[in-house]
Amino acid sequence: MLRKVFAVAAREFQLIWRDNALRRILFFVSILSLLLFFAVYNAQVLRGIPTAVLDLDGSPQSREMQQSIENCEDLKVVLYPTSYKELCSIIEKGEAVVGIVIPENFGRDVTAGKGSKILSVIDGSNLIYANNAVSAVLTVARTHSAELGVKTLISKGVHYSRAQYALMGITFRDEPWFNPTLNYAFFVVLAMALNIWQQCCTITSTYNIIGEMGAESWLQIKALGVSKFLFFFSKSLAHIAGFMLAVIPLYITAFGMYKVPLECSPAQLMLFTFVFAVSVHSLGTLISALCSDSVNAVRIGMVIALPSFILSGYTWPLEAMPVFVQKAAKFFPQTWFFQGFSLLVFKDPGWEALKPYILILVGMSCIFYLLSTAVVAVRS
Amino acid sequence: MRQILNIAFYEVLYIFRNRVLTLMVLVVPLFYAAVMGTAYVEGIFDSIPIGIVDLDHSQLSRELVDDFKNCPQFSVREGVENYRVLEREVREGRLKAGVVIPENFENDVINSRGTEVLVAYDASNLISAYNIRKNALQVINTLNARCAASYLAGKGMTEGEIKSTLDAVSYEYQVWYNPTLNYAVFIFPGIIMMVIHQIGMYSVALSVTREKNYNSWVQFVSSPVPSWKIYLGKSLPYFISNFFNYGLLLWFASEFINIKIKGSTYILVLLGFLYVATITSIGFFISVHSKNTLQVTRYMLLLSVPLFMISGFTWPKAYMSHWVSAAADAVPYTWMAEGIRLAAIKGLGLEYLRKTIKVLSLMAVVSVFLGAVFSKREKPKERIRFGFNGDSYFPKIEKV
Repeated sequence: MLRKVFAVAAREFQLIWRDNALRRILFFVSILSLLLFFAVYNAQVLRGIPTAVLDLDGSPQSREMQQSIENCEDLKVVLYPTSYKELCSIIEKGEAVVGIVIPENFGRDVTAGKGSKILSVIDGSNLIYANNAVSAVLTVARTHSAELGVKTLISKGVHYSRAQYALMGITFRDEPWFNPTLNYAFFVVLAMALNIWQQCCTITSTYNIIGEMGAESWLQIKALGVSKFLFFFSKSLAHIAGFMLAVIPLYITAFGMYKVPLECSPAQLMLFTFVFAVSVHSLGTLISALCSDSVNAVRIGMVIALPSFILSGYTWPLEAMPVFVQKAAKFFPQTWFFQGFSLLVFKDPGWEALKPYILILVGMSCIFYLLSTAVVAVRS
Repeated sequence: MRQILNIAFYEVLYIFRNRVLTLMVLVVPLFYAAVMGTAYVEGIFDSIPIGIVDLDHSQLSRELVDDFKNCPQFSVREGVENYRVLEREVREGRLKAGVVIPENFENDVINSRGTEVLVAYDASNLISAYNIRKNALQVINTLNARCAASYLAGKGMTEGEIKSTLDAVSYEYQVWYNPTLNYAVFIFPGIIMMVIHQIGMYSVALSVTREKNYNSWVQFVSSPVPSWKIYLGKSLPYFISNFFNYGLLLWFASEFINIKIKGSTYILVLLGFLYVATITSIGFFISVHSKNTLQVTRYMLLLSVPLFMISGFTWPKAYMSHWVSAAADAVPYTWMAEGIRLAAIKGLGLEYLRKTIKVLSLMAVVSVFLGAVFSKREKPKERIRFGFNGDSYFPKIEKV
C-alpha cells in the first residue's frame, strides 16, 4: 500500500513540476513576492515625515519653536513657505504631510504672557503618515509648551526642577511590546508573502479532483484498481508536501536573511503552518470537487483566497469590523492562520493559547475533506 | 462601424450566455467592494480593550482610570491586578494595551517630584498600536494639564495667570481630507480601484483566449476585418461594463461606506475613462498573447497584492527602494490610485492632477495602440508534446 501511495504521490509531484505555470506559481511566486515586499518596506520605520514650517513672526522665540520642530526625529522640515496660501498648496500637492504655522507676534505674545496659538495642518489622506504625524505634533506641542511654562514659573521664583515636575509631572512612557521599533516590515512583509503563498496553494489544490475527474484519463486510473480514497489521499500528500517546500524558503529568507523576529520555536511555526496547509488544501479540494472544470475551480478558489487576508483581521483588527463580518470571517481557515501566525511570531503565547487555532483548523480540514469525499462519491 | 458593432454584439451575447462571465462582469466587482467595504465600514478602531494596573489606589489614580474609561477609544477591562496578569492578557491577545499607574503616583504629583505612567501596547499590529499611542498620549496630556493647573492655583495664581502659563503656546491641529482618521477613507478608494483593475482586466483577457480554446479565433484572424476593428468590437462591451462598475463602486463607497466623494464630476469621469481604456486595452493585449484561459486565470488573479503594495497607496513611495518605485510608475494602477485620492478624497482640481492625467493619457494611448495592432498572421507550427494541467480539458496535447 505504501508503494501505491508513493507512486501516486510521485506522479502528482511530476505533474505539478512539468506544468511550467503551476511550478512557477507554487515554488517561485511567493518567494519573489517576499523579496519585492522587503524592497517596498526598505525603510522599515516611518521617520522624517515631510513637514513645512511657515514662520510669520521671525522672532527669536519663533526660531526657537522652529528648532524644536526640526529636532523632532519623526518630522523632517523640507519646506519653508512664506504665506499660508503657499503652505496650503504644498499640502495639497503632497509635497509635505504636515504644515505648521507660527503666527505673527508670536514672540511678543509669549513674552507678554498673553499666550499664542500655533496651527498644525495634517494631511489625513494617508493614515500611516497621519497617525505618526499627529503623535509627533502632540509630543512637540507638549514639550515646547511645558518648556515655556517652566520658564514662566522660574521667573516667578519657583525652582527649575520643581517647575518642571509641576508642569510635566506625569511622564508618558510608551512601551511597544513585541515590535519595539514599530517596524512596518516586520509587521506586514512576511504576512503579505504568506498571503500570496496561500493564494498559490489554493490555485494548486483546486486541481486535486477536477484535474483528474475532468479528464478522460480518469477512467484509466479507475481501471488500475487503486481505490479513490488512496488515490486522492496520495495526491493530497504530494500537494501538501509541495506547499511546505514552498514555504520553507519564505521562512528562511524572512527570519534568516532579513532578521524578522521569531518568538516561538521554528518547529512550532512549521507545525502550525502545516496544519494550515492541510486546511487550505482541504478547502481547495472541496472547490475542486464541486466545480465542472479547472478554470472555474481556480476562479472560485481565488474569490475566497483574495479577500480572506483582509477579512482575517491581520491588518485592520477583527474587533473593529461589524459583528456579522467577524462571525463570517471565522469560517475561513485564513483568519485562524493569520491570527495564530501573529501570536506565534510576535508573542509565543504557548500551546494553551494556540490550541483553539489548531483545533479549529483541524476541524475545518476534516469537514472539508468529508464533504469532498461525499461529492466525489456522488459524482463518480 | 457595423463590423465593430457586430463583433461587440457577439461578445455581449457570449457574456450573457456564460453564467460565470455574466457574474464576473456585472456582479463580482460589487460583491468584492461589498465584502471588503463591510470589513472597513466602521472605519475607526474604538473601544480598544485595555487593562489598567493601579498600584496606587489613590484619588488621582482613580481619576486617571476614569479618564481612560471615559475615552471612547478605549474599553477598560476589569480584573487586571498586576503587571504579570497584564502581560499575559496582552500576550494571549485578550487585551491590546495596558496602563500601569505606579505606587505613590498621587504623592509624587502633589509634591512635584514627577512620576511616570507606563503605557504598554501590543505593537504586533501597527494599526492598533498607533491608535493606542496617540489616544493614550492625549488622555495623559489632559490629566497633566489639570494637575499643573491645580498646582498653580495652589500657588495663588489667578485663572488668567494659570492659563497664560499652561497655554503659553497652545496648539490646534487640523486633519485635512480625513478629519476623523477613518481607515475606510484611507484604504477603500484604493481597494475599489484594484477591484476594477483586476476584474476589468481579467474579464476582457478571457475574450480572445476563450476563442482560442474553442478554436474559433482562427475565424477572426482569417477574416478581412482589420485587427483594430476586432480589438474595438471585442473590447467595447468590457469598456462599457468596466466604466459602469467604476461609477457604481464610487457610488457604493459614497452611499454605504460613508466616504465623501469630493471633486469635480468631470475629472472623475475623465480619470475613469482613461483608467478603464488602459486596463481594457491591456487586458485585450494579454488575451491575444496568452495561450489559454487557464494561464490568464492563474497569473492575473495573483497580481492584485503586489500591485497594491508597490503603488505607494499605503506605504509612501519615498520610503521604497528606487527600483521598486520606478517599476511602480509604469503601472496604471499606481497613477489611478493616486489620482482618485487627489480627486475624490482631497477634492483637488485639474491643476493638481495635470501630471496624473498626462501619464494616464499616455498609458491609454500606448495600451490602445498595443491592443489594436496585433498581428493576424498565423504563427509557425510549434513542437508538440504532452502537457499537464494545461487547460480546462486536462490533460491534453498542447503546443509549447
